[in-house]
Order: sequence, then structure tokens, then C-alpha cells
Amino acid sequence: MQKKILEFTNILRNSGIRVSTAEAIDAFQALDLLSIGDREIFKDALRTTMVKRGEDVPSFDELFDLYWSGFYDSLREQFGEAANRLGDFGIDLEELLHQIAEMLKNMEGEVGDLSELAKAMLTADLNQLEQLIMNAASAAEINIENFLQIGFFSRRTLEQLNLDGAGDEMRDLASALEQAGMDPEQVAALRELIDGLMEAARKVVRNFTERELQKQNHDYMEKFRRETLLEKSFYHLSEEEIRRMREVVERLAQKIKNILSIRRRRLNKGKLDLHQTLRRNMPHGGIPFELVFKQRKKDRPKLVILCDVSSSVANVSRFMLQFCYSLQEAFSKIRCFVFVSELGEVTHVMQEGDINEAIEDALEGGDVINVYTRSNFGYAFHHFWQNHLAAVDNKTTVLILGDARNNYNDPRAWCLRDVFNKAKNVVWLNPESPSAWGFGDSVMDKYRPYVDIAEEVRNLRQLAGVIDKLVL
Amino acid sequence: MFKSVDHVQEALIGQQYICDKNIATVVFLAEQLEKPVLIEGPAGVGKTELAKVVSSVTKRRMIRLQCYEGLDEAKALYEWEYSKQLLYTQILKDRFTSLMDSAQTIREAAELVGKEDSVFFSDNFLVARPLLHAITSDDAPLLLIDEVDKSDPEFEAFLLEVLSDYQVTVPEIGTIVATHKPLVFLTSNNAREMSDALKRRCIHLYIDYPTEELEARILKTKVPDAAEDLIDDLVQMMQRLRQLDLKKTPSISETLDWARALLALNATVLDEDLVNQTFNVILKYEGDVRKAQGELGKLLEKKTAEAKVEAPSQAEAPTPATVKKGALH
Repeated sequence: MQKKILEFTNILRNSGIRVSTAEAIDAFQALDLLSIGDREIFKDALRTTMVKRGEDVPSFDELFDLYWSGFYDSLREQFGEAANRLGDFGIDLEELLHQIAEMLKNMEGEVGDLSELAKAMLTADLNQLEQLIMNAASAAEINIENFLQIGFFSRRTLEQLNLDGAGDEMRDLASALEQAGMDPEQVAALRELIDGLMEAARKVVRNFTERELQKQNHDYMEKFRRETLLEKSFYHLSEEEIRRMREVVERLAQKIKNILSIRRRRLNKGKLDLHQTLRRNMPHGGIPFELVFKQRKKDRPKLVILCDVSSSVANVSRFMLQFCYSLQEAFSKIRCFVFVSELGEVTHVMQEGDINEAIEDALEGGDVINVYTRSNFGYAFHHFWQNHLAAVDNKTTVLILGDARNNYNDPRAWCLRDVFNKAKNVVWLNPESPSAWGFGDSVMDKYRPYVDIAEEVRNLRQLAGVIDKLVL
Repeated sequence: MFKSVDHVQEALIGQQYICDKNIATVVFLAEQLEKPVLIEGPAGVGKTELAKVVSSVTKRRMIRLQCYEGLDEAKALYEWEYSKQLLYTQILKDRFTSLMDSAQTIREAAELVGKEDSVFFSDNFLVARPLLHAITSDDAPLLLIDEVDKSDPEFEAFLLEVLSDYQVTVPEIGTIVATHKPLVFLTSNNAREMSDALKRRCIHLYIDYPTEELEARILKTKVPDAAEDLIDDLVQMMQRLRQLDLKKTPSISETLDWARALLALNATVLDEDLVNQTFNVILKYEGDVRKAQGELGKLLEKKTAEAKVEAPSQAEAPTPATVKKGALH
């Protein structure tokens, strides 16, 4: 049992659920106190001690079924079916088994001793059967990698199990019983039962191998997903990956927030505030027990985001927006504009409702711009220069996101120059690698002189790096 | 002390807290393993209530610490009363001077003062706050740290000592170890994720919105006067509302409020007017109410259709079920 639980712990870990050693120990202690007989309680005990995030619960449930209950259930189902078919013959299984046991006792020595497997099958001892199949499987060294191998490994397990041998034994037993003068009808029923049991055993073993494959696949897939998500290019993301990516962004943002609050606290210690110190210490008779320091003014940047939402950069925009808005308190003000060729402000969209919905909304143009045109950075910047230049002052960081693929339009770099002169910082995030800047219809080289920081942001790790620089 | 998981479940139900085995298992383990429980889940599913009920079942005194942003040691653990200490010093000044008279040298005088150290650094000047109360209590209390996700990460780190070793360190006095280990419940709405260090020390319980059957049972226990048909309708309605994308999804506490409100209005069945009038009991945003009203129309239509299909087959003797469905439109 211990070994099984440890193995299960490992499977959880491989699937991205963090289980520390201390938590595994807790699980063992918990199981000591409870009756393991009750599957529900057993499951709850494992869950409550090892899984500490609500989001991990479905994952745990799935793995638990895969590892613990699924196999036993299928065993019960298959063997139950075999027994039921017998019921159709109008024969009571219990009674038959009882009779067989009686006859066996009488004939002791005449038939060679039955093997463990045959005995377990005939007495429907499911626990024993489970154990036997598991042992056979481990002897068969199942190391399954794809579904084509299911047949092969099933056969190998069956051979290890010596199921055919057990079948022969049981059939011999039936013949022996017939000779010993058992009711022919009952012997026929017994033969039927034996066939049913053999079939059930085959199915169960196949089922078991399939599960092995699923188990290994689950581990593999999860690991693969997690490791690559940080590095994965924004260009190729499935729906599922976008959802998972959101979680990752949230975690990263939380991390940065925590660091920020520590850093702020250190910064806060300014000069001694004499006035406040005297006031605070009046209850102590004016003796300064508690010193009060002046708070240094928090220097939170203002942020103006100009976000290209054309389909080629939609994913980068999505996660950058999520990042910035998760870190809202790190900025004193965020204004957000989206463009393809026209420019529109979506600050109000971002301020209401669920952030993820708002982002999807903004990516659709937020009802303010038409997204079904070709990118024109020059036009968008000119529009910004005309209408929103007042939004930029010397405390403002302007964050531009786009690939600078201008479709051979006039780049109007002078608009960006004016923004650059007014702003504290201009940061450009480009999902293309620097070697491609300025080639083809890319006008990144024209804009580059008016950008303080230009970074390639193609995956989450790079994005996190830039945001980190931005807020600190 | 509980004897088994079933025992816990019975005891909780005895206090009108209807729960599934999962919750009972966690409570049982918490007491046996002497570990804190971190309860997560949406607002209003009975997280705080669980702690209250467990406290009354186990006859433990409940000490509650409500967390909020900016909560610090001084408010959670203890405060050192400088002014009282100062006052004592001033009052006792004369006695000290007379004591000092016998001393020949400064060293002797210092030793004399040193002997009386404990007078000035004792519990006397310690104002205990909830955490210290829980640790120093004569009986084993139940400590509820409510909405721990609202506190700062710094405070969370500070909690670790209390949670793992049931002890606190007060710089002026030293380490105080609990003589009777308190049973600790922490609740969180997941406003932010708790650190792994905190989670590791706790056993975890996730309470979700109740299933239809469980919610009906809770209603029947808590609002016994409500008609059974009304309860069934209510529960179905609530289950549907939770499927909607609402700003604030109504939970079990809202269901209870609604049932009580309807009871106060002497309602025995749920009809459209009544629902529209009382929607503001369960939905707290104007937008949500509008969304739900749209859904209500659909729900009622479906009910009408169902009632029509069922009606002919049971025409001769209308069962309560058809009466109920008929009454909804």
C-alpha cells in the first residue's frame, strides 16, 4: 500500500500538482487514522492532505480514478457480467459455486490442485485477481508508449498470468465433475461460466494495459505542456493553451507584485517626521518611543499602452494586456489604445467587468475601431499625436506593441519622435526577432531611434522580463 | 474528540450543518492530526459557518481573527503597552530610589535594578490579541482566521510559526508555546493565492456550490416552514442561475435569504411576479438582475412545455409535481 501511495504521489507531481514530502507524510498519517475500506474517505483523505489548490482538484480526480478505482471497477463490471449471463440460464451462481466447492472437497487429490488464478476466478475473489493481474503486468515489464503496443503488452501479461493454463485446468475440472456424476445441465452451465470468465479476464487485462498507456500519456502530456508554455511562441497557441497561459500570466504577475511590495517597503523609510513623532508619542509623555518616518513619495509610472490588435500579434497583445492589468496597482494610471489602422481608446472597456472578457473585447476593436483593415502604424501614430498627445507627460511610460509591419505605408516616424520627447520612456515590444526588423515592409528601423527600449517578445518568459523592468 | 468520520457528520448535522463526507473527513483529520484547515471556496457557501458549528460541536471557545489589508502583528498577536510601563516606572521611582540607597557602587545598584527586571518585562504590559489569546488559552479553543487572503503576504509569513508549531515569539518576553493546541480554521475566497509554505502546513478543503440534492436538504433543515414544492422550485432556479455568467454568483446563503424572504411574503409557490420582486435578495448587481430576468423567461417557457407534455398522462390525478410546474407561469 505504501508503495502504491508513493507511486501515486509521483504521478501527481509529474502532472504538475505540487506535493511536498511533508504532505505525503501527512497523507500517510491521515490514512493511519481512517478506515481505508471506504473508497470515498480514502480519496478525500489523499485529496485534503496533498492537493492544496482548487484548480488542481479536477486533475486529481482524474488521476485518482485512473490509478485507484478504475481498474477494480472494470474488474467488477466484467466479472459481474459473466455471472449475470449465467443468471439468464436460470442458475444461481452462488449455489453452483457452493456445489463445486463441495465436490472439490470430496474429490480431493483426484484433480490436480488448481492454480491460484483458477481458484480466484472460480470463487470470484476480485481482490486476489487484481493482485494477480498487477503482478503479471509488472513481470511483463509493461513500458507502453503508444496505442499500437496495447495488443502486444496485453498478450505478454496474459502469458505471464498463464490464463490459458487456468482455462485448461477449469475445463478439466468440469470434465472431472461430469464424470463424478454431476448434473449434466449444471456442468453445461459451469462450462458457460468458464468461457465467460475467460473472456472477462482477457478484457480486463486489455483494459489494464490501456490504462497504463493513459497514465503514462497523462504524465507526459502534462509535463510537456508546462515546460514548454513559458518558452512557447505566441504565434502558435491552441484555445486550451491560451487558457493555461492565462494562469501562468496570473502567477507571474502575483510574483512580481510580491516583490514590489517588499521593495516599496524598503523605499518607504524617508527622513524622520518630527511632527508626527511628537504627536504619536504624546501618550508616552512625549518621550519618543515610536519614531515616525516621512513616506517617500511613491513613484508609480503612468502607463500608456498602444496595442496593435491585428491578427498577427493578437496573442502577444492578449497576454501583455493581461499582465499590465494584473499589475494595475503598480501603475498610477493606465490608458489603453488599440489600433490596426485607426486608433481607438479602450480604457473604459478595460475598467469594467472581468479582465479576460475585456481583453477579448478590446482585441475585437472594442466597438471603437475597425479591425478588418491592414495595419498602418503611421496613420495610427499620427492620430495619437493629433488627439492624445496630452496623455503623455514626463512620468509616462509609453508601451507600444506591434510588429511594425506597415504594409508599405508612410511610417510618419516624426509622430513617435514627439511622443518620445515628451515621455519618460518609450518601450516597444515586437514579436519578431531583431534580425527581421527593417526587412520587407517592417519599419522598425525607422522607429527605433525614438524608442528607449525595443525588445523581442515572442514568449512568456521574454514578456515577464520586460514587464519586470517596467515596474521596478 | 470525534470517534470517526460518520460521527463528525452526525454531529454537524445535529447542529443543522448539512454536509457531505468530504467535509466531515477533513474536520475529523484536522482534529486527529492537529493540523490547521485551509478552507477555500466562493463567498457564502458556509466556510465561516463550518468553523462556528465545529466550535459548538466540540465545545471549544471560538476566537476569531478577521483579516484585512494592513493587518499587522500589533493587531493580531499582541501590543506592548509602553505607556503603562512608563507609568509604572514613574510611580515606582521613589521606591527605587530608596532601594538604591543601600547600594554602595553603581554596579550594585544596577544589579538591584536587574533583580526587579521581571516587573517591567512581564505579561503585565502585554495586551493580548486573538492569536496570543488562542495560544495562551487554558482550554483548547478554536481559532478562526477569516478571509486570510485579504491580509498582506507579510502577515501570511508571520502566521507560519503559529500554524506549524503552535507557538509565538514575543521579543520582549520570549517564545510562548501553546499548552492546549487550538484547532485552527483559515478561510479564503481566493482573492489571491496563498503561498505554498502556508498551504503545506494546512490540510485543504474546497467547498463548492452545493449540488441540487444537498441544497434542498440544507433548505429543508434551515427553513423548515417552507413548503416542499417551493423549496424544489427555489433550488432548481438557483442551480440554473449559477450556470449564468454573473458578476456575483449567488450561493447557499443567498438561497437561504431568499427562502426566508418568500416565507415572510407567505408564498407557497414560485411565480414570475414574485421572482421578479424578490430578485434583489439573491442578486446584488443591476446587470445580473437583467441577465437573470432574461433567463427566467426561458426557464418558465421550458417549464410550461414540460407541464404540457406531462399533463395528459396524469390528467385524472394531478400529482404535486404537476401542480408545482403549472404554478410557475
